[in-house]
Amino acid sequence: MALPELFLSFLLIGFTSFGGTSMIPLVNGEMLSHGWMTAEQVADIVAIAEMTPGPLGLNCATFAGMRVAGLGGALAASLGVVFPSFSLCLLAAVCFEAFKSSRIMEWLMTGVRPACIGLVFGVMFAMALSTYLAPEGGVELTSLLIGLLDGVLLLRFKVGVPAVIILSAVLGLLFF
Amino acid sequence: MGADNTNTAEKPRLLRLFIDFIGFGLTTFGGGWSLIPQMQELYVEKRQNIAQAELLDLTSVARSLPGMVVTNISFLFGYHLRGLAGAFVCLTGIVLPPVLLMLLLACCYDIFCANPQVFAALQGIRAAVVPIILSAALALLKGAFRYPLCYAVLALSFLLYSFVGLNCFLIIVIGILCGLLISWYYFKHGAGEAK
Repeated sequence: MALPELFLSFLLIGFTSFGGTSMIPLVNGEMLSHGWMTAEQVADIVAIAEMTPGPLGLNCATFAGMRVAGLGGALAASLGVVFPSFSLCLLAAVCFEAFKSSRIMEWLMTGVRPACIGLVFGVMFAMALSTYLAPEGGVELTSLLIGLLDGVLLLRFKVGVPAVIILSAVLGLLFF
Repeated sequence: MGADNTNTAEKPRLLRLFIDFIGFGLTTFGGGWSLIPQMQELYVEKRQNIAQAELLDLTSVARSLPGMVVTNISFLFGYHLRGLAGAFVCLTGIVLPPVLLMLLLACCYDIFCANPQVFAALQGIRAAVVPIILSAALALLKGAFRYPLCYAVLALSFLLYSFVGLNCFLIIVIGILCGLLISWYYFKHGAGEAK
């Protein structure tokens, strides 16, 4: 019964986030709680999704669905995550004038944004622990140094994400 | 389209829209922020299918709705130009390239991971994911909140996730309730209603 579950999971993800990075915590939670992926695989998809075109949520849905239940799974998960765009946008398009001046959506999203970003920081914290700390205790020095270098490049020197990913891959090849 | 002197620009054909949006689907890296300038250039400046202000309205409604901004904009834009058929054509077009590409990658993932070189490279890439998310989250923070109290919701959500271990969906519902309270409070006191 993976198909309805995949659809519902990604439907919930679609309805409770606002795209981009804000989807990572929800995807992470759903993948781990259903046992569909490991934490490493989620990190891999985030990296793959950053390197390929298209919205992150959709990329995750297609990838996860395909791995869990093949082509049908990919279709179910992708439809689920795109569903808000069918339903809510149709509603918004039909009553566009009313929507533009209505405060309801704005009021609802007032809390969704900070809650999602708080979750993103939470997932980042958890990912940092699992990436940079060795399971047997101590620090994964190589990973930590690559991560620090990437952070400086991204935040201080405004280097683009694809360039940083390629650099990290090369460093990984050299040092792991 | 030759010498078209009518001042109401011709509505683009569905096939044309489909091809355009497949093109967008192939080139929107890193979320929706590269899509809007592309649409602006093609539909506002070059073909004059839509006025600048209308595109901005569509964008702000797309952002105010849940779901992925890119697909929301595509749907609303298609609907604006060609009704329901246009909406589906634009949405399908923008979704198709990433879906096909991810299907391919999902199939190759195990083969890639079995290769020791690729595995080493992936380990390097995993080390990059945390700083990438950090820089994206900091970018999201810029101008995201209308009220300072939203930062308290952010902190609460972080704490509930990391130290209480609540389910993400539950935390978002709590966030929505807090947001409604905050909006209502400021509405009552007449502050921050910038319109």
